[in-house]
Amino acid sequence: MSSDLLVVENLRKQFGGLKAVGGDDGLSFSVKEGSFVGLIGPNGAGKSTTFNLISGVLEPTAGRVVLAGTDLANVRSSDIASLGLGRTFQTPRAFMSLSVLDNVLVGAKSSGENLRSVLLGGWRSSEPALIEKAKAALTRVGLEDRVTETVSNLSGGELRMLEVARQLIRDPKILLLDEPTAGVDPSLQGKLSKILTDLHKEGRTLIVVEHNLHFLFSIADQIIVLQQGELLSSGTPQEIKTDPKVVAAYLGDEHAA
Amino acid sequence: MNFEQLFLTVLTYGCLFSVMTVCLNLQYARGGMINFGTVAYFAAGAYAYAIFTQEPPKGLDQYLFGFDAPWWIGFIAAGVASLLFAIITGWPTLRLRGEYLALTTFAFAEVLHSFLLNERRIGNGSVGLSNVDRPDFSAIGLSENYGFMLSAVLLLILTSLLCRRILASPYGRAVDAVRDDEVAAEAVGKDVHRLRFEIFVISAVPIGFAGALYAMITTLVSPDLFTAEVTFFVWIALVLGGEHTIKGVILGTLALVTFEEVVRSLHFETVRAAEIAASVEYMMTGLIFVMILRWQPFTRFAKKGATP
Repeated sequence: MSSDLLVVENLRKQFGGLKAVGGDDGLSFSVKEGSFVGLIGPNGAGKSTTFNLISGVLEPTAGRVVLAGTDLANVRSSDIASLGLGRTFQTPRAFMSLSVLDNVLVGAKSSGENLRSVLLGGWRSSEPALIEKAKAALTRVGLEDRVTETVSNLSGGELRMLEVARQLIRDPKILLLDEPTAGVDPSLQGKLSKILTDLHKEGRTLIVVEHNLHFLFSIADQIIVLQQGELLSSGTPQEIKTDPKVVAAYLGDEHAA
Repeated sequence: MNFEQLFLTVLTYGCLFSVMTVCLNLQYARGGMINFGTVAYFAAGAYAYAIFTQEPPKGLDQYLFGFDAPWWIGFIAAGVASLLFAIITGWPTLRLRGEYLALTTFAFAEVLHSFLLNERRIGNGSVGLSNVDRPDFSAIGLSENYGFMLSAVLLLILTSLLCRRILASPYGRAVDAVRDDEVAAEAVGKDVHRLRFEIFVISAVPIGFAGALYAMITTLVSPDLFTAEVTFFVWIALVLGGEHTIKGVILGTLALVTFEEVVRSLHFETVRAAEIAASVEYMMTGLIFVMILRWQPFTRFAKKGATP
């Protein structure tokens, strides 16, 4: 039996007294190593806020997050990323002054980010291998023809794929993807589905926030449903599909029976 | 002023101020940090040089320290002083962004200026330290003017090479990424605070060296020489040259220094003519500024070379 890689315990976040995540007891769930979790819920359910709390972009009001046995309280988001957590954002984020290739290379851990190595020039020998790795990541997400372009030429969907490539080169233990199919055209969606399935097969843990339930239910093995910041339901895609509480949350009470 | 003298002055001061614009380019155009206290690091270097090389106090001297060290120890001390001042000012302020950082760095520079003006035990207060020691270039067969000009050129070349080496590496890529989007950079494990702090501190060192060279050339350090005007001059040069490229900011600085020195070298028969010329200089500066920003000649020229 695989162990819990991520444990979220009694997590609560309030913005100016308004509850964003967690009810009285807070939000609690755990994610087993190697599992593929879908995080769903209506708009405003707190999905992206939960991602921001796990990745350290936001500090929780109460509760804690434990990643691979490490309590993430007071750990900076860059250090959380270094612990093996990768994430993408609801609105794709890119480094606009850099080329597509450099955007991916930023994700790599290079010895050339150490000042001593920069001044002595020792980083140069490892750079070609990183460039090849970045190109492979770009090929994997279907951006192999855009390597030298500036990021401003990319569409919204391509920017999402670029974010995925930037995470792929880092080889994260756990990957949090926030609405990866939003704005991505159907041909790339197929590619994305394959990438996620492959990553899952490779043993990586994935948590995906998604509104495209058809897409998610076909590839996830566990679904967590949030509503107004609280855990509404959790189970396999089949269980969630038939859960009256979930149906009511999405379609209204009259459909629940 | 004859042509040779003009050429030497332009090149000496042009390179000296270019060192500052190149460092500011690293801090602002690449690192995204607005430092409106550039003059403070320049002053720290100049004062450190003067204090280390002057004789111990005697007679009516109000200053407390004078180490009578050779010029090269003073020069190293200048870089260290600027580095330390950057650490002291950068540590508490670099969590600030944009105009907040601009205002804080400006305030730090004003505090240092006020301190040097009022604390006479450091550098004789408003009188300053005069007869600052300078290296002897005759040993290598150079006149003083040429010696300082070549020193300034050399310092600029070394500073540019250092900046280029940093920016053309994965380190520079990470610095660019942090400037573009800190949250996304942190999401791939980049230590934003460390990168910003290191860039801020490293770029202060050549500015300190430039301060030492300035003290050697003028043989005087006094608070009057290190006002916010120096900071604004360097910022104007940076904007003129167009941000991002080392070549561009050097060209911008050289152009600005050339313009000022040429105007200064003109002779006027009457006071009235000199007054009119001073007014015209302001008008011309504004006009040239608008024209350069409109057509960005230095940026275009520099981008042809594609130097980072």
